[in-house]
Amino acid sequence: MIKLENIFKWYQVGGARSFVLKDINLHIEQGDFVSIMGPSGSGKSTLLNVIGLLDEPNEGKYYFMDEDVLALKAKKRASLFQSHMGYVFQAYHLIDELTVYENIETPLIYKNLSSKERKAIVADLLDRFGIVGKKDLFPSQLSGGQQQVVGIARALAGSPKLLLADEPTGNLNSKQGEDIMSLFKQLNEEGVTIIQVTHSEKNAAYGQRIINLLDGQLKDI
Amino acid sequence: MIKNHLKIAYRNLLKNKGYTAINIIGLSTAIVAVLFIAIWVQNQFLHDNFYENKANIYKLLNRTETQGQIQVSTISMAPAAAILKKEYPEVEHSARLYWATESLISAGETKVKSSGNEVDPDFVKIFDFPLVEKATEDMLSAPNNIVLTESLAKSLFGNTSALNKIVQFDSGESYNVSAILKDLPPYTDFTFKYLIPLQEKKIKEYGSNWSTNTYYTFVSLKAGSDVELFNKKIASLVHENDAHLQRTAVFLYPQSKTHLYSKFKDGIPNGGKIEQVRLVALIGFLILIIACINFINLSTARAQKRNKEVGIRKVAGATKYILIQQFLIESTLLAMISGVIAFFIASVCLPIFSHILGQSLIVEWTNPILWVVAIGFVLTVGVLAGIYPAFILSAFQPIKSLKGSIKRDYLLSFRELLVIFQFSTTIFLIIATLVIRQQINFAGEREVGYNAEQLIEIPIEGNIERHYDVIKTELLNNGAASHITRTGWTVTADNASSSGNFSWEKATPEQEKNTVFTIVRVSGDDFVNTLGLTILEGRDINYANLPADSTAILLNQTAIKTMGLQNPIGKYLKWGDATFTIVGIVKDYISGSPYQTIRPVLIHPSKRYLQSILIRTNDQHTVSQNLAQISAVIKKINPNYPFNYQFVSKQFANKFKQQEQIGNLSLVFSLLAIIISCLGLFGLAAHITETRTKEIGIRKVLGASIHSINILLSRDFIKLVVLAILIGTPIAWWSMNQWLNDFAYRIDVEWWLIGIAGSIAIIIALITVNVQSLRAAKTNPIDSLRDE
Repeated sequence: MIKLENIFKWYQVGGARSFVLKDINLHIEQGDFVSIMGPSGSGKSTLLNVIGLLDEPNEGKYYFMDEDVLALKAKKRASLFQSHMGYVFQAYHLIDELTVYENIETPLIYKNLSSKERKAIVADLLDRFGIVGKKDLFPSQLSGGQQQVVGIARALAGSPKLLLADEPTGNLNSKQGEDIMSLFKQLNEEGVTIIQVTHSEKNAAYGQRIINLLDGQLKDI
Repeated sequence: MIKNHLKIAYRNLLKNKGYTAINIIGLSTAIVAVLFIAIWVQNQFLHDNFYENKANIYKLLNRTETQGQIQVSTISMAPAAAILKKEYPEVEHSARLYWATESLISAGETKVKSSGNEVDPDFVKIFDFPLVEKATEDMLSAPNNIVLTESLAKSLFGNTSALNKIVQFDSGESYNVSAILKDLPPYTDFTFKYLIPLQEKKIKEYGSNWSTNTYYTFVSLKAGSDVELFNKKIASLVHENDAHLQRTAVFLYPQSKTHLYSKFKDGIPNGGKIEQVRLVALIGFLILIIACINFINLSTARAQKRNKEVGIRKVAGATKYILIQQFLIESTLLAMISGVIAFFIASVCLPIFSHILGQSLIVEWTNPILWVVAIGFVLTVGVLAGIYPAFILSAFQPIKSLKGSIKRDYLLSFRELLVIFQFSTTIFLIIATLVIRQQINFAGEREVGYNAEQLIEIPIEGNIERHYDVIKTELLNNGAASHITRTGWTVTADNASSSGNFSWEKATPEQEKNTVFTIVRVSGDDFVNTLGLTILEGRDINYANLPADSTAILLNQTAIKTMGLQNPIGKYLKWGDATFTIVGIVKDYISGSPYQTIRPVLIHPSKRYLQSILIRTNDQHTVSQNLAQISAVIKKINPNYPFNYQFVSKQFANKFKQQEQIGNLSLVFSLLAIIISCLGLFGLAAHITETRTKEIGIRKVLGASIHSINILLSRDFIKLVVLAILIGTPIAWWSMNQWLNDFAYRIDVEWWLIGIAGSIAIIIALITVNVQSLRAAKTNPIDSLRDE
């Protein structure tokens, strides 16, 4: 599903290059549950962003479902993103002015789905995550764990094949974290490919595969 | 999608109430200003430009060469109208209109004083004044026909139809009502309440030759006629008919242009009121820009707060285009709300605005075009204000914007540029307002040369002419008046001038040709004392007691200087065939516009054509006492007339009306501009203070005083205002000098004036910013540092 070849990413600091990613080669198959681990500043989030098309490497090739992503035009890339990927953030990043329902609905609006279709999908998600009763509340009225559930629901609204999560439990207490992780596991069992960035060994254990990063380089397991 | 956009826009506006309020107040104030300006401008363009046949209606103007300059006058000679119609096939109709006169009109027992014009019958064919009803096809075909306006007909006949009824004039003539017109709109130069046909015997009285200009002449050409060609044809018309008049020519000028393009320079049209219209329109545009800048500045300042939202939306799949759309909908929604509020305020405040202007304004609220234009305009404002922030906000990159703040240096400096622009404009308007005020005051304080206080004028009507001596004796005896005389016209207007037919001792042909005299006709009894002029040499004309004084004249200082006469008393002045003797020199006084330089004045006695009594009332009594006594005397002579009088000082004040209108316009709009600019500054200061709360807290913990923090926060803004002063003042200085060039008697733009304007701007800006910065400086650092 994902094939990264010789990915480099650097920042120009003074005259020298400061590498964030250094010669990354990676294969991820459909149905995988991958955890990216490593110390702070090792390039975990950058790698996730590159995979999620939110950031571009300076060098290298990236094939997503056999498509050379970096050669695509911005518009095509955006539609690829829309139809195949969902993103979950550490800080949830819900839109404060929108209700739970509307937050989940937002990506569907951008996919130009009719209001009837949107209603069906959102209702289904609300039901599935057990937040029907909270659909008219605003993010500020929810606990962190609940907000993250909404964030995941939103990420899944477009029925993506790939779910990208950047420290999804980083802002949660351990009970909430466990709930989120078992939700991930369940999703993975339903066929969603998941890539998560995490600090926690315990969370990483939910996945099938762990990738270790150090100073922008893959460390063999 | 749109629904979602509207929803989020609505919630955003509701959530940031302060920000929304500033934007809505600013935008709606600007829209009110623009609405007022649009209404005023539209009324100017409608002025005498609303007739069905307007493309073919012309006024006959005459062009005379004097003193090497070409003067254009709107008054023309009696025979022109008939000859144009008879000899030129292009002419469809032509008609003369004599000056408006006041008459006492009666219908049965009802008596109404009203003013109207005598016109040639074709007048009502040229102008299609909206009709209520008419009895005959040609409204003024019979010499005893009269056309009334609706309001006059109503005051004469109440609710019964006036058609075919008889009205009686105080002069003894009676007229048959042949038509009723709707009342004239405020946007026309015509002021008549009735029209009657010009009669042959009166034409003789008013002057019927080519050398006397007494009428307005209107001409309508047949459709498709070339007016340029026609004007070439009639260029020699005057000369052909009167060989003496070599320097006078007539030409047609579109009636639709007489209001806005009434100024001529060397005989060529050279602007007019249109310049004022353009200026005001520009001011409106500037105010709108200032308000849009507020919106732009506040939204880009708040951009950081919305970064996150933009990032999430982009990650959720929004394209840049969709985000631009969203932000535009937000700004348009804001503009719409402001527009609705503005329309409400404008409709309520229009009478106040009309009052300030001293001019009634008409708005057709029911006209659908008005609403289409208005909605279109409001949408445009929304897009204009929203487009730049929309591009800026939507361009944020998701990862960067989700991670937190990005500093954009160019964005900040652009915002500063906009603030500078705003304040430059405001300073320009403040200076313009001050200069206009000062110029009006300057002309107002100019030495008039006579004492206008205590002077009243009474029109000579009914039996007054026959019993003038009785009135004069009675008023002097009962102490209401200290001096009384009669004059040809009202003393505050230059009504007549003459040139080219004068000669005097040692006059060069150049001088004879070039000297233009303003002619003042008086009765020759006590004129100098009544008006309060100063005699420099010689004496007043005493025609009342000395028949030999029929040829005695007074000249003013300027006349003597222009003529180059030495020892003028007793010398002669020939005017056409008549020879006059100079008996006195009066000190210069303002006889016409207070903005003009003084011109030569010739005061001569006459027993005829005296239209008003001038009374210097007794300053020992109160005004109402004097008026009551004068009224009693006049009523005895003219029992049928309401007592009618005017204060000369008020008439004099009327001369300032047009300038005062500009002055008031600029005052209103610079106030609005100041309000809007300050709102913007207030919002910006609030935002910047908010983002620096933490810094302020740290500084306070480190020992900074409230004062030093206040200075820290104000300094940046004051810098901008100072820059704005540097930019705004030279522009204002230059353009106000251009404006002042129109006046011969004018002020100079002084530097202290600019100093005042600058200080006003700085003080206002300081107060605005300080409200914010003081609040921030006073907060307890514990509160501001705790929040993370």
